Amino acid sequence: MNDLTQSALTKPRVVGKRTPRIDGEYKLTGRAGYTGELHADGMLYGYPVPATIANGVLESLELDDALSMPGVVDILHHGNFDTLHRSPNSMAHGDMVNEVRLPFEDERIYYHGQYVALVVAETFEQSRAAAQRVVARYQMEDGAIASLLLTEAEGELQDGAGASRGDPEAAFGGAEVTVDSTYHIAAESHLQMEMHATLAEWRDDGQRLIVHESSQGVFFQRNAMARVFGIAQENLEVISHYIGSGFGNKLFMWPHAVATAVAARRLGRPVKVVLPRQQDMTGGGNRPASRQRIRLGADRSGKLTSVIHDSTTETSLVHQYVDTCGSATPSFYACDNVSTSQRVLQVNHGTPCPMRAPGEVSGIFALETAMDELAVELGMDPVELRLKNNAELDPASGLPWSSKHLDECLTSAAQRFGWDKRDPVVGSMRDGDEIIGYGMASCTWSAGRQPCEARVELRADGSLFAACGTQDIGTGTYTIVAQAVAELTGAELSRIEVKLGETGLPAGPLSGGSMATATVLPAVAAAVRDALDAIKEVAVGSGGAFEGSDADSLDVERGGLTDGKRHVSFAEILGASKLSSVNGKGSAAPGNERSEYSFRSFGAHFVEIRIDPGISRVRVARVVSSIDIGRAINPPTARNQVEGGIVMGVGMGLLEKLDYDPRDARLINANVADYIVPTHADAPDIDVELLDYPDFKHNEFGGRGVGEIGLTGVAPAIANAIYHATGKRYRDLPITIEALLAS
Amino acid sequence: MMDDSAHSRTAFSETLSVNLTLNGEPRTLQVAPNAVLLDVLREQLGLGGTKKGCDHGQCGACTVQIDGQAMNSCLRLAVMCEGQHVTTIEGLARDGELHPVQQSFLECDAYQCGYCTPGQMMSASAMLEDDRIGTDDASVKEAMSGNICRCGAYKNILEAIQQARVQLGHDATAARKEGVA
Repeated sequence: MNDLTQSALTKPRVVGKRTPRIDGEYKLTGRAGYTGELHADGMLYGYPVPATIANGVLESLELDDALSMPGVVDILHHGNFDTLHRSPNSMAHGDMVNEVRLPFEDERIYYHGQYVALVVAETFEQSRAAAQRVVARYQMEDGAIASLLLTEAEGELQDGAGASRGDPEAAFGGAEVTVDSTYHIAAESHLQMEMHATLAEWRDDGQRLIVHESSQGVFFQRNAMARVFGIAQENLEVISHYIGSGFGNKLFMWPHAVATAVAARRLGRPVKVVLPRQQDMTGGGNRPASRQRIRLGADRSGKLTSVIHDSTTETSLVHQYVDTCGSATPSFYACDNVSTSQRVLQVNHGTPCPMRAPGEVSGIFALETAMDELAVELGMDPVELRLKNNAELDPASGLPWSSKHLDECLTSAAQRFGWDKRDPVVGSMRDGDEIIGYGMASCTWSAGRQPCEARVELRADGSLFAACGTQDIGTGTYTIVAQAVAELTGAELSRIEVKLGETGLPAGPLSGGSMATATVLPAVAAAVRDALDAIKEVAVGSGGAFEGSDADSLDVERGGLTDGKRHVSFAEILGASKLSSVNGKGSAAPGNERSEYSFRSFGAHFVEIRIDPGISRVRVARVVSSIDIGRAINPPTARNQVEGGIVMGVGMGLLEKLDYDPRDARLINANVADYIVPTHADAPDIDVELLDYPDFKHNEFGGRGVGEIGLTGVAPAIANAIYHATGKRYRDLPITIEALLAS
Repeated sequence: MMDDSAHSRTAFSETLSVNLTLNGEPRTLQVAPNAVLLDVLREQLGLGGTKKGCDHGQCGACTVQIDGQAMNSCLRLAVMCEGQHVTTIEGLARDGELHPVQQSFLECDAYQCGYCTPGQMMSASAMLEDDRIGTDDASVKEAMSGNICRCGAYKNILEAIQQARVQLGHDATAARKEGVA
């Protein structure tokens, strides 16, 4: 039995309170060093040369011209590249990569943008100029598969990626009311603001490799590089202090990092590569397109009797990536007969990878649009339909939820939105020339947790230091670690220094899956407690500030210890004993609570859209959301995550689409102007409420994580609102102005 | 590995000289004719606060102020800046005091990853001095739409800009009063 309830932080002083980011001033003054702007002595610049076809063979490379350009030092390609090894690509062993194929491994071209060479030169300008002079000749082949959305091919069924209970086919056949719809979502780009970047340097005569990478997982990259280069992981260091976000495509290593490290080894000098935006979009990851069929059966009262969710997503020809769309479906609604299946189709694209709420965000679009269709079929309010099918237990596992308040999310958001003013008649709500549509959807994301280690020092100069090898990708991890230390020591936040993003630190988790907060904070707390034990021992020892006292009689207060009569700061205790610091180590991992409860966050989005029928323009006017994430450790940064997810959801719903040329599978819109993401002007009025039900069954801090959930459910709420305004059911994303014009 | 003389010969051949004022200081730079201002700032001068997001004038992360106007530094050759005043994010804070825009970004949590943030603030601080742009939220959102924030912190950025406007207005009023006194 876990003892989480014993250490549960029920009356926090710092945790759960508004705390400005401790790294804020670095970001706001330009002093935060992101990978792409780092320098090393004698550093060279690499510039990849991308394939201009998506299917065929690289016949030849003409390099003489490029090699004679000023400053060019070397050009790496298939003909001269080092012999390396593939990473085993194991999640369990922490060496998963985003593309198992090594750079320049063979001369086959599998996707547009695949690297055919890496030009290395003295300056950035020289590397770019020379890369443009490399002439590649290809044997282009027919038969490129441009997109899942442009083929009838079914793809390969993935064993183990589906789930089933009851007899969903029979229940669907016998249902009083049914929905049977197919949904398509275009491939999306992460379009994180900072492109992938690597700075690699070999030290100690090529024995040791130091890599700066814009990474959501420094330990994964270290382990993968150790396998690829066949060197001990102790001789490898991966560093990522500031990350210009990632949204999933920086979780695991890409081939550019390997090519950069090879160039650095071969030339004996540090090499930096910052992917140009075009190459970042062709070869640096994408959310794969999906095709999903949902069948719902219900009785006349609206009770679900069958849910069948069959999905197909894309992967590349060089790596197997499964974007499991149905992963939330078995847990979403109380229903006895549910099945999900997943197929994967190889296409001639750069390899897809996790993108914010991977799989589930696509699956929830289909499921929550289908639920709206069912509500229309039943003549029932969509909120009422969801409340009616609310699952009190996790129907997938049969376990109770650790903490679930979806019903309150639905009713609270509906009330703040003014849902009661909705006239369900299609197209009935107008404001001048505009038609108003109200739509809603539920949202969800699983609450995971990983093992983690951390280290904390209390120092004689009055500072406190916390270290963990996780990353802060903009979610605010630096700050919540400092909050946890401040909470448990009573020290001022300004005295706490936090170090993240290095493999030299205690092993920390990926910054992904909304798991970092629940994973890291318990380990930090364990390290703080270990350090506090150490300083108590110092204090009661010979010559100590509380010499002769019982350590258990001392309380921690305001960055020091007290015996009830006298308060002595950590710094004074250490000074009195002539010590520079005490050190605390801690580790934490999920326990058997996971066999007793199901852990998942839920919430609800309500959306108002306005359509100008004269010009077929739709805009999202406002979004009102209530989300239950357990406790928000730092409410402003947590709310910021949800608000950002909602903005990204507007993009998914209305704007974002990687366009592959149906003739040859080349990516047409690999730039920030033609791949459209929401701007300031596209951002709706957003009102986010975070319910405050700390989930102490998940961890002692009560937080379940917040990075993904805000994005889920937004696109279906938009689509459902557009249906309410127009009577037209859009089942394909994005819902573009062209699609609106066609109706 | 190439020898050092070859290194310096190739790396620094064909440079041009450009005189400009950078964050208040007169500078003479030696730059390659094809060097883009953004890359000169980041790679040659070590001013990494100006960010690279697209190199095509599409994202706004590289925004600097040139003679007080917000501009994409990725769309300007460095040699075009002869005689101009270039201000980067490193020059926005004065005498160790955050600019009101920086201070309000901190208070309003108007960022997440922080990568687009310098560009957002360089655009915002220029916009707040631009009388042609309305002070209402819709005008600010329109004027700021050249700066993409993929983290989607737009709500907080808008709040921060409007808060900085109040702060700057108070300062201006105070300064005028001081002048009269």
